[in-house]
Amino acid sequence: MGVASMLQIDEMLGDFNRMNKRQSLYQVLSFAMIVSSALMIWKGLMVVTGSESPIVVVLSGSMEPAFHRGDLLFLTNYKEEPVRVGEIVVFKVEGRDIPIVHRVIKLHEKEDGSVKFLTKGDNNNVDDRGLYAPNQLWLTKKDIVGRARGFLPYVGIITIFMNEYPKVKWAILSILAIFVLLHRE
Amino acid sequence: MGKKDEKSQQGEELVKVNKWDGSAVKHALDDAVKTCLLGDRPQLKEQFGLVNTRLALCALAVSVAIMAHAWDFTHPFPESRPVLLFSVLAYFALLGILTLHSSFREKGTFAVALQKDKERERLWEASSDMRKYDDKYLLTLSVRDTKNGKRREQSSNKSCAAFIDQNGIVLDNLVANEVNRLFNALAADKKNASSLSSN
Repeated sequence: MGVASMLQIDEMLGDFNRMNKRQSLYQVLSFAMIVSSALMIWKGLMVVTGSESPIVVVLSGSMEPAFHRGDLLFLTNYKEEPVRVGEIVVFKVEGRDIPIVHRVIKLHEKEDGSVKFLTKGDNNNVDDRGLYAPNQLWLTKKDIVGRARGFLPYVGIITIFMNEYPKVKWAILSILAIFVLLHRE
Repeated sequence: MGKKDEKSQQGEELVKVNKWDGSAVKHALDDAVKTCLLGDRPQLKEQFGLVNTRLALCALAVSVAIMAHAWDFTHPFPESRPVLLFSVLAYFALLGILTLHSSFREKGTFAVALQKDKERERLWEASSDMRKYDDKYLLTLSVRDTKNGKRREQSSNKSCAAFIDQNGIVLDNLVANEVNRLFNALAADKKNASSLSSN
């Protein structure tokens, strides 16, 4: 018995071939709704937390022993909450995509409430000025993606793995998509 | 009989399903019942209202999601907040409506047909229910007179093994027997306004 006949692929394809137009349309829409639901949950989290990326994965070991590579962080970015020294913030340097998770070590505040601050990873020897954009010495509030509010250890390793081997990610997603499209409810 | 589709003596294709997959069995039986009900009865015209409503709701929900994504893409996050908030609420509201529609309005109905005579108009509905790991296939055929609203129904609660053989082939003649029995019982029972159910 081959793997294909064990998975009953023949019967599933037979089922698919017998679908009429409305049924096929419904299968496509079901798949689209699964994708849309995931998307809407993400956007909903964005709205609720106020952060453009409410869940991030720690990519390096620069915050050990607080956070390790592969930890999942939950962020919020409420405008009313002030940035304070000692808080762990996630920020993006202008021109770069990857968010960085480090701690605020110095902060200057003006009378009107605007701030500029310096960050450093707990496990690094130097502050982050080497990571900032050329001629940039301080970060401001608009660089912040969010403040870390909670975390789940190890869960993010899957994301790191999928990003390092994108072919595995596409293979898994394609197989899932095919199963959803062919299987009737 | 090991092939996927075989030509029977009448030249029709036989339907083979994975007999251990409950939902595939139910869908195959639903299809067989629909073919038997509508196949030899040209006076029954299939109505797609329920299915179209469901498809429209799904399409609307998906388009809300796409629009939200596109808007967020062109107006980066903080500015798009109100639009996103509205879209998320609208999307989940539509999902709720869809669930209500399929749970209360559709309720397992897979075929709706309209029969128009000279004197009356009748709406036939076929619905089925098969619980998750149960083998009993509850088939209900109902007829409703659109003018005076009277509704009658007949059910058959047999095991799905009564219609599918050991290899998973759906036996259309057995399905047709059952469908004809229910149909004739309802069609003949014109003067009687009580609703019957039998096993």
